[in-house]
Amino acid sequence: MKTKRPPIPGKIQPPIVPVLDVTFNLLIFFILMPSTGVDEGYLTSNMPTSVGPVAHKPTIPEVRIKVQLYDVEPNGEYINGAKNEHVAIAVEGDQLSSADGKPLIDQAALAALKKVLEDKRAQLKEQAATTPILLSPTMPTRHKWVVAAFDQGVATGFNKIHFAVPYD
Amino acid sequence: MRTKKHVSSAEIQPNLTPMIDVVFNLLIFFVVTIQFSELDMEAGVMLPTSTAAEQKDYTDFRNVVVNIVNPDNPTFMVMHRAFTMQELTEYLKECRQAATDQNQSLNLILRADKEIPYDEVARVMLCGCNAEIQTWWIQTDISDRLAANAVVP
Repeated sequence: MKTKRPPIPGKIQPPIVPVLDVTFNLLIFFILMPSTGVDEGYLTSNMPTSVGPVAHKPTIPEVRIKVQLYDVEPNGEYINGAKNEHVAIAVEGDQLSSADGKPLIDQAALAALKKVLEDKRAQLKEQAATTPILLSPTMPTRHKWVVAAFDQGVATGFNKIHFAVPYD
Repeated sequence: MRTKKHVSSAEIQPNLTPMIDVVFNLLIFFVVTIQFSELDMEAGVMLPTSTAAEQKDYTDFRNVVVNIVNPDNPTFMVMHRAFTMQELTEYLKECRQAATDQNQSLNLILRADKEIPYDEVARVMLCGCNAEIQTWWIQTDISDRLAANAVVP
């Protein structure tokens, strides 16, 4: 019996347009994705180390400049327990204030901190690079003010900036 | 005079093969070089601005990124998962142990919203301290500084 041969099919071309669409979309995604995060930088610090019989008790360097940050109201008043959004600063226990005795807050306090640290650096000379600054913010102090104070320390040439951490 | 009509040529198709080759090569390049650790970063964190922060390639180090999100109800987030302080300490201990087993040191990257109270930052520091992590970085926004340093034509 004679069988009928199936006709030889022509050259089959898979549809390439959807493949190209997907490929170009992926390409654009991967080109744009790494651009996030280029405007980010890092402030480096060492963790307080745990030593001795008391768990998590941090060691605090003996020679240091203590910078305290207080969360305050817009008028510079400290209200304990309130969510105060502004900041006042004290260096070695002396609150930074204006010539008429009013406490400086926010950017004015940071500018005054920079001035005080510049004076300290001039006094300490070569020792300044190895003298640590101990930042001691009150608990409600906003992160942005802590970072801004850290900035002033680095800007004035102090390389070691530590944080006071409360422990149980 | 009668002119000779041009015979219309068959439909011209550009040669797609070299273009597809280039596109696929680019695609493979971007897929391979993408920094997947960016997936550790939570969206919507308003970082504090800084003028002194350094730009670093964090992929050169072994890191764990701790995000503190939502200033109204601060939450610790690692790899898009919320952690309590206890859980975070245990997690950091595991990460530090894994790094130590490979003779590497672990770096803690703190990525906190600028309005987060220091209380929460100190808690993360305590967790890191208890996990015996030595160094930590505070991630900040340096776009203002970059804009100031940009050359204006």
